[in-house]
Order: sequence, then structure tokens, then C-alpha cells
Amino acid sequence: MSVIDSKVAAGHELPTVSKKFRLEDFKRGDEKTIHTDYDAAAREGLPAPVAIGPQVAALTFRQLRLCFGDGWIVGGRYDLSFRRPVFVTDFCVARGIVTKTERENGKLRVHCEVWIENQKREKVIAGTASGLVPLAGESA
Amino acid sequence: MSSVRTRILEDSQGRRASFDDIRIGESLGEIEWQVTDDLIDLQCQLDQDFDPIFFPQAEGGKRVAPPQITYRPPRWLLSRTHNVRGLFVRWENESFKAIEPGTTLKVSGTIVEKYVRKEREFVVYEAEGRDAAGDLVFRTRRTHVLDVVERSAPREGAGIDSGIKPEKI
Repeated sequence: MSVIDSKVAAGHELPTVSKKFRLEDFKRGDEKTIHTDYDAAAREGLPAPVAIGPQVAALTFRQLRLCFGDGWIVGGRYDLSFRRPVFVTDFCVARGIVTKTERENGKLRVHCEVWIENQKREKVIAGTASGLVPLAGESA
Repeated sequence: MSSVRTRILEDSQGRRASFDDIRIGESLGEIEWQVTDDLIDLQCQLDQDFDPIFFPQAEGGKRVAPPQITYRPPRWLLSRTHNVRGLFVRWENESFKAIEPGTTLKVSGTIVEKYVRKEREFVVYEAEGRDAAGDLVFRTRRTHVLDVVERSAPREGAGIDSGIKPEKI
């Protein structure tokens, strides 16, 4: 199931997905990493442990899966830049907006600008993504 | 108070890769990786995404994996070739085919670019995954900064973390 259909137009805001992270979210056994250990992070020049990038980007992936359903699983594309470190107790919210649509092999490709903000509303991840939706009157 | 910033020289897995060690065009090799139900469960747990598309409710319903389950194997290929900790800074990806449990992916990768920006060293690698039929399942391009600290900083000391990790999600 998807919440975006072929009637969508540029300017449509994507549903938000948010999470308050905890250090425990990034633990794998007893391993001391830059994601879980202050000393390990400090030795690499980081002020504190940083979140695992793909686990933060997962907020955007949930958002896009919600928007496009099967058209995200097959045909989904993204180009994300990790612009600022996300620290392990940050709050993050994935936002996005439709920028354009175009026909592609009997479906509609919906292009979006997507980003994730932290609790200070700083963009920590930003980029573009797109998924496919069936054209009106055509089955998925 | 002054502090001398340094880049890590080595960790428990050996010396960290230098910018010069990494060659454009260098193959990262190939890995075969089977996506199991347990791995899909784990990926959904990590991502906190429990949509029925990943957990079919009807008997005989087709289960698929979240596309981002393919994050790790290309990273393992980089780690098999070079001891890079650093940070992941850019992720491009396209999904061509749904990944069902039991699918074995053959993932291969290549270093395609490296550059210096804002006094930091970046490497770019591409990878693709194909299923047993040889069909393209995903293609990705990743950019990794070798160190958080500027390249003018000397390399010394030992890191606690390493880019070389157990090959599991």
C-alpha cells in the first residue's frame, strides 16, 4: 500500500517520520565503536559517539516505503549526503517534498527532495529520492 | 589550552589505509551473501520498520526485504581490501528487483574515484548485487571520508574502533 498516487503534484509534502535515538540503538554486543564509546569517538576527532548513518537514513526509507509501497521496493532510487554528524541521543525527523513527476515504462516516477533534521532543525542528511506509482487506470 | 589533532595510525586490525594506498579502478572483489528471514527481521528491528510488506500476514504472502538491507556487503568489500574507519558521507542507490528471503546475492565492487575536499580525503566506490539468475538487484555508489580530522594532521596512535568488523548486520 502506498499513500502517494498518480494524482500527486510538485509541492506535495511527504509524511514525516521521526525518532529519538538512544545510545543503545547502536550497540552490537560489547563492541566499543565510534557509535557507542566516547573514547573511541574522541580518538577519531569526534566530540561524542555518532549515530550509524544508515540507521538514521532509515527514517527517510520508512517515509519513502510509506509513500510508494512496492514502487519503493523495486524502482526506488536515492542519493543522500550525510552533511552533519548525528549524535546518538539526537531527535531526528525525516521530511520531504515532491519536486516533479515523469512517466517511466508505464508508471509514474515521483521525484522528491528529502532531508532529515535534528532537534535544532539542522539538516543532517539531505538529498533526492524517487519511487514509482501506478498510473491512474492501470494496475500496479 | 591547546590540543594536537592527529589521525589514527592503526587499530586492532592493523594500519589504517592511507589515501595513497587506495587506487582508482581497484577491484574490491566479490562476496556471496544470502538474505535470510532472520536477517530481514534484524534489519526491520534496526530500522524500526514493521510494515506488513516485510511481515506478510496472509498465508503464502510474499515477503520482501527492505532495500537498505544491502548496505553492509559493499562496506565489507571495502573493509576486506582497506582498513578504513572514517565516516560514510554519501549514499546513492537504486533497487531493481525485490529481495526475497533465501536470495543469494553476488556483490562486487570497485574504487571509482578519490579526491580531497576541505583538507579531507574521500574515496568513492561502486558496487552491484546480482541474484543467482544474474539479474541486477541493486546498484550503489558510496563516498567515505577516511578521517574526521584534516589530512595535514599527523598519523599516530591507536584507534579503539576499526572499519574492519565481523561480517554481519
